[in-house]
Amino acid sequence: METPNNRQHILDEASTLRWEIGENLHDTLLESIYQDAARVSDRVVTRVGEKPRFDWDRTLDRVLTSRWLGFPLMLVMLTVVFWVTISGANVPSGLLAELLIDTFHPGLKALASNAGLPWWLDGLLIDGVYLAMAWVISVMLPPMAIFFPLFTLLEDFGYLPRVAFNLDSIFRRAGAHGKQALSMAMGFGCNAAGVIAARVIDSPRERLIAIITNNFALCNGRWPTQILIATIFIGALAPPALAGLVSAGAVVAIALLGILLTFAISWALSRTMLRGEVSAFSLELPPYRPPRILRTLYTSLIDRTIFVLWRAVVFAVPAGAFIWLIGNIKISQMSIAEHAIGFLDPFSLFIGLNGVILLAYIIAIPANEIVIPTILMLTVLSARMTGIGEGSGVMFELDDLAATMNIFNAGGWTLLTAINLMLFSLIHNPCSTTIYTIYKETGSVKWTLVSSLLPVVMGLGVCFLVAQLWRILG
Amino acid sequence: MTTQLASLIIAALSTTVLLLIFWPDAGYFWRWRRGLASTKRVLMEDALKHLYDQEYNGLICTLRSLAGSLAIGGDEAASLMARLQELGLVRLHHEGFELTAEGRKEALRMIRIHRLLEKYLADETGLSETEWHKRAERLEHNMTEQAARELAAAVGNPSYDPHGDPIPTPGGKLPPKKGVPLTELEPDEVAGIIHVEDEPNAVYAQLVAEGLHPGMTIRVLEKSAQRIQLIADGEEIILAPVVAANLTVERLAKGEEIKGPFETLTALGVGEKGRVLALSHHCRGQQRRRIMDLGVIPGTVISMQMTSAGGDPTAYLIRGATIALRKSQAEMIQIERLKEAA
Repeated sequence: METPNNRQHILDEASTLRWEIGENLHDTLLESIYQDAARVSDRVVTRVGEKPRFDWDRTLDRVLTSRWLGFPLMLVMLTVVFWVTISGANVPSGLLAELLIDTFHPGLKALASNAGLPWWLDGLLIDGVYLAMAWVISVMLPPMAIFFPLFTLLEDFGYLPRVAFNLDSIFRRAGAHGKQALSMAMGFGCNAAGVIAARVIDSPRERLIAIITNNFALCNGRWPTQILIATIFIGALAPPALAGLVSAGAVVAIALLGILLTFAISWALSRTMLRGEVSAFSLELPPYRPPRILRTLYTSLIDRTIFVLWRAVVFAVPAGAFIWLIGNIKISQMSIAEHAIGFLDPFSLFIGLNGVILLAYIIAIPANEIVIPTILMLTVLSARMTGIGEGSGVMFELDDLAATMNIFNAGGWTLLTAINLMLFSLIHNPCSTTIYTIYKETGSVKWTLVSSLLPVVMGLGVCFLVAQLWRILG
Repeated sequence: MTTQLASLIIAALSTTVLLLIFWPDAGYFWRWRRGLASTKRVLMEDALKHLYDQEYNGLICTLRSLAGSLAIGGDEAASLMARLQELGLVRLHHEGFELTAEGRKEALRMIRIHRLLEKYLADETGLSETEWHKRAERLEHNMTEQAARELAAAVGNPSYDPHGDPIPTPGGKLPPKKGVPLTELEPDEVAGIIHVEDEPNAVYAQLVAEGLHPGMTIRVLEKSAQRIQLIADGEEIILAPVVAANLTVERLAKGEEIKGPFETLTALGVGEKGRVLALSHHCRGQQRRRIMDLGVIPGTVISMQMTSAGGDPTAYLIRGATIALRKSQAEMIQIERLKEAA
């Protein structure tokens, strides 16, 4: 019979016994679950002739993770992936640019003037919105459509976990996870994709580190900037025979600086801001399996390429409109853009950049791809050059390096401006697509702010230092 | 030239100043914020905890012990005690002070929050042992009852904190004190550590450095007024009596011999096998759950497969899956080596 009295007695007894359980209740529970499971599986599962486990796997592993061959093989594999991406993307990128920018754009303009659209509507929609979108698509789509499937194939095959396995000792010293090698490599394609790729890191602290430092992997949108500036300014310093080599060397140096910064910032973050986050390492090395090519193509195109591209387009549309508007709305005889450049110039020149560059980085925040077209347009606008470009507020690029050089000269660029632009292109805030992705992935305003502001402050600092030293030594 | 130098110097100075102010935790800004938090209420709550500690350990609380524990002056201690008496939380008792029923309830509430926080910091953050207590001391004063209940649920309603101290129930119940200080053991006696006192910090840091933790079995080898020599997990440790007094132990039957030293997973060469004996106490929280979820529990047979090209993570075959573990993790898994035939 249950009386209130003996119920109280039972409760008291229970709470006394609670202290006897000790603190390892969860361990004991898990152990007994495993034991039960093992007993059940031993009874119902028969194992036929235990063969040596996946001999082929073991041999492959021994080669791919060996002390002598592991790293060279990895370098070769990555070089091949990058080479295929860059050389493979050239042609379709050119075709797309020709189609979307050189053919469709004038076509649309003609159509609009036939339809009698007011100039401002046609400018806003076609020169602003359409052009920004077309630019992002033509520069972004081909490399991503090649890089992501290749990467996914390597992942599917089981090679990428071995890369993480091999590189973990280096990343460990920086307080990071070996799998950050993968999100970093993905970042060379696109930082937004790299941030998403950091999901594979299951330890909270290391995942945040990978997300915050992903921006230091020089993304696909920034390579063209680096190559253009290096060719025009750095290559020109060397004798013509060596120009190509020197400018390529400068671009590689910037990319390597990015990797170096990744480690340095990872190290610093894991010891300061992120010290309190949990760290729990584990890395599974799945068995090798033949990649499922069609499935890989489908998922990497839909999940990664189209997904990232869509986000970029969504951000590029309002930016295109904005860029066109500030080039065309005039206040007391000057466009808003010129006012802004005048306002930014003193500070920008002081840190060895110029107002055009800073303004371009502010308004071209949706995608690094449109920074150079914006810089060219703003330079022509502010230097009041005529006969070059497509008119105020319309982004453009020139095929002719000498003509591009002329525009930069008219904008008052020096070697210092070029070097600082290359540095700032590496070390500045991530593009708005990436910022939004970081927010989605971390769900935290704090970490989104840290990963956006930390690099831009660093970049301004680096430019400042270089400019002062340059002026002292030069 | 001079303007550039000047601007470099100004930049360097302002960066230094900013770093000094905002450096996480140690910066002046954070210290100033913490200073604001150290109010009269905080002191009163700390005083109640001290009173309860003394009572639990069968000691008497005096003004002097209070001033020592809170690191405040004698005058301040006196006015603090007067205020607590006014509020009816403390009353005079023989030569010292004791808690009233109301005061005990309040003290237990604070102790519960403190120990829950320590458990939380140990399991759910990456902070090291020596920081748990300090952080908990700071955080405990700003927690509502509701937040405490949520915290308890988040860490699985634990009954002990990571130092082995029981956590009071929401109703304020605690089990009677168990065990004796290590200093009371005689040579050859075997005992289990049930509690490692976390104050003062320097002493605690020393105990942590020696690898001593609740749940360990020890045997006293030698004892003198200057030092106590003991064997724990197969390793010999020498402690000063003042340090040893911060360990609470429970005597075990004399015959019970302690095992060890244990080999860890790191001792295995390629292709060698071992059976898991235990997971070290230092493997806690999410890391412990992760490793156990992978199937590393006592009895599991693990074989070493390969070392990475970089030398550190090593891949082990665990229940049919190849899992890479870092050296620091493999060191926390104690094993017995199996012969080749097994």
